Amino acid sequence: MARTRPRLVLAVLGLTMLAAAGCVGISKPEGWAGPAQTDDLLLASTAKGKLSALNAEDFSPIWTFPTGEEDPKIDLEAIYGTPVVTGDTVCFGGYSGDVYALSLEDGGVLWSFEADGPIIAGLAASETAVYVASDEGSLYVLDPQTGRQVDAFDAGDSIWAAPLLADGVLYLASVNGKLYALDAETLDPVWDAPFEADQGLISDLVLADGSVLAGGIDRALHAVDAETGEERWSSKADNWFWGRPLVAEGTVYAPNLDGHLYALSLKDGTPVWDSPFEAEEPLRSAPVLAGDSLLIVDRGGNVYGLDLEAGTLKWSAPAALEKTVLSNPIVLGEEVLISAQGGDLFRVDATAGSFVEVVTP
Amino acid sequence: MTQSAPATQARSRPSVGNLLMISVIVTIVGAFVVLKPGPAWNMLLMQPLINALLLLTNLVGGQFGVAIILFTVVLRIVTIPFTLRQLQSTRAMQEIQPRMQEIQKKHKDPKRRQEETMKLYRESGVNPLGCFMPMAIQMLVFIALYRALAFVVGGSPESVVGLSQRIYPWTYLTESIPLEQSFLWLELGQSDSTFILPLLVGVSTYVQTRLAATPATTPQQQQQQQMMTWMMPLVLVWITMALPSGVGVYWVVSNIFSVFASYWVYGRRLSWRTLLPTAAATEPKQPHPKVQPDVQEETEASAPPEEREVRSRHGKRRGKRKKHR
Repeated sequence: MARTRPRLVLAVLGLTMLAAAGCVGISKPEGWAGPAQTDDLLLASTAKGKLSALNAEDFSPIWTFPTGEEDPKIDLEAIYGTPVVTGDTVCFGGYSGDVYALSLEDGGVLWSFEADGPIIAGLAASETAVYVASDEGSLYVLDPQTGRQVDAFDAGDSIWAAPLLADGVLYLASVNGKLYALDAETLDPVWDAPFEADQGLISDLVLADGSVLAGGIDRALHAVDAETGEERWSSKADNWFWGRPLVAEGTVYAPNLDGHLYALSLKDGTPVWDSPFEAEEPLRSAPVLAGDSLLIVDRGGNVYGLDLEAGTLKWSAPAALEKTVLSNPIVLGEEVLISAQGGDLFRVDATAGSFVEVVTP
Repeated sequence: MTQSAPATQARSRPSVGNLLMISVIVTIVGAFVVLKPGPAWNMLLMQPLINALLLLTNLVGGQFGVAIILFTVVLRIVTIPFTLRQLQSTRAMQEIQPRMQEIQKKHKDPKRRQEETMKLYRESGVNPLGCFMPMAIQMLVFIALYRALAFVVGGSPESVVGLSQRIYPWTYLTESIPLEQSFLWLELGQSDSTFILPLLVGVSTYVQTRLAATPATTPQQQQQQQMMTWMMPLVLVWITMALPSGVGVYWVVSNIFSVFASYWVYGRRLSWRTLLPTAAATEPKQPHPKVQPDVQEETEASAPPEEREVRSRHGKRRGKRKKHR
């Protein structure tokens, strides 16, 4: 018996390894695209790597892309950026690196474009251009009618934050820590030099009162002068600022992966609340303002309705969706629409903090 | 009677390796009881491994593949007492097989047989768990490393969010994020579609297993040994095909390290003949007791004269080799 023990042990350990390897899979991209709204449609990723158009009234599905019947087969892997609507067209990018422009009416493909890497950041669009940023650090300027590449810019490293287009200037952040201000037509630099943070800038950019707000891996939220590129202020936290900040009435509400929602003065970055609001899990989703409540969802799917002034929970308890939520919600009147990982859409009453409906197309 | 003196010494003075192993086990078990398994797993294994990988990545200029290789070498050097102990215990177990067989033949009563077996273990200074624990620790580290790599390399933006929760609050650690996934022909966060890495894992595991194999004493043992020599590489090839390439890189480097460790312990010549499935390493023959002088004396005394001659020649060869060093 003793003679065979080492061999038996090896066999048992081999099988243990097998079981361990089988139980713990490689993390696959799931996507965290938030919903988008038009006059009569809701656009949401209702399944991994798929975009659906729903009737805004009754949430009934109108079309889904890809249908699965295309030849050759289309596999977007996952969708991270919120779809962008211009006119009768919706544009979005997939983790596969493919960008599609679809007809809002029937979901038909108007054009497609293949980027040099996965697309994690959302798109920016105007009537004359569609801006696509890739994980390889490329910014493409595409013709919105044909999808033809018009221009390109190399940011030097991955781009995870959605570019911001405002007043003819395109603001672009990269994980190399640089924030660029580019002329939207020529892509010429507007600032003398890009703003440079200590580490990667990854939160979707927001422009408010002449400041570009950018959060990053350096655990800081930076307010950068939109005209000069000089830093006005920065505020540190315990983890990365990945969620898009919300600005309302001179206050910046910035979610952090440390599980806190920070309320900071837009003017100088000083704290507005006595202490930041503490959620149960990390915060990646952007806060939204619904009525007089500030809503925020944590990664674990806990929805919090907060008092704007005090930063305290207004509801008796958070609403628990019991799903992973990393996407940005949108406000539909008195309700908030939240897209959870897997594709379920949750409608939450912003006043009462209760579910209205779970939409599973 | 001459056997008991060194054996008693071994009992009364536990080796540093034993103490180290016991303290590691007690610490791990204690932490798992006090902290609960999930937090203990994260705190003791996952987080240190993740942060060590990030630190090394920064130190080697952001080359994550190089960091994995460096990490493996450091890890194997740190755990070398366990590795050596495992190899020595395996060899020692093999070397007392003739006496084990004698006991099994001589004593039909299971209780008496067990007593004699335990006595033999004590006299020979052999700990049957000496093989198991080092392997168990290495396996634990392997599984933790696999999980750590899954977090560090990612493969999805979601895993980067998860990674952010496991990094120590030291900004230097995040300087290389996002990590460079490309290394040689591999994408470290994805399995190797070229099958080159699984093949390398299989070949290196085979070589390592062959070199670590001790001479079989019975046909059954030879059969088991040959089965394991093939089974382990095949299992690992299959696993590597499904794992992130970074884990495969770890496994290949670790195997190369083990080959050198086997050479160090067994002193076997690295010959291509050793690697052949029909090579003498697994052919049944009487082992050469070397662990305890007392065991060797007794075994040699009871062996036929031809065999004693073979052993003395072998001893002479080893002596010559030492002289060359």
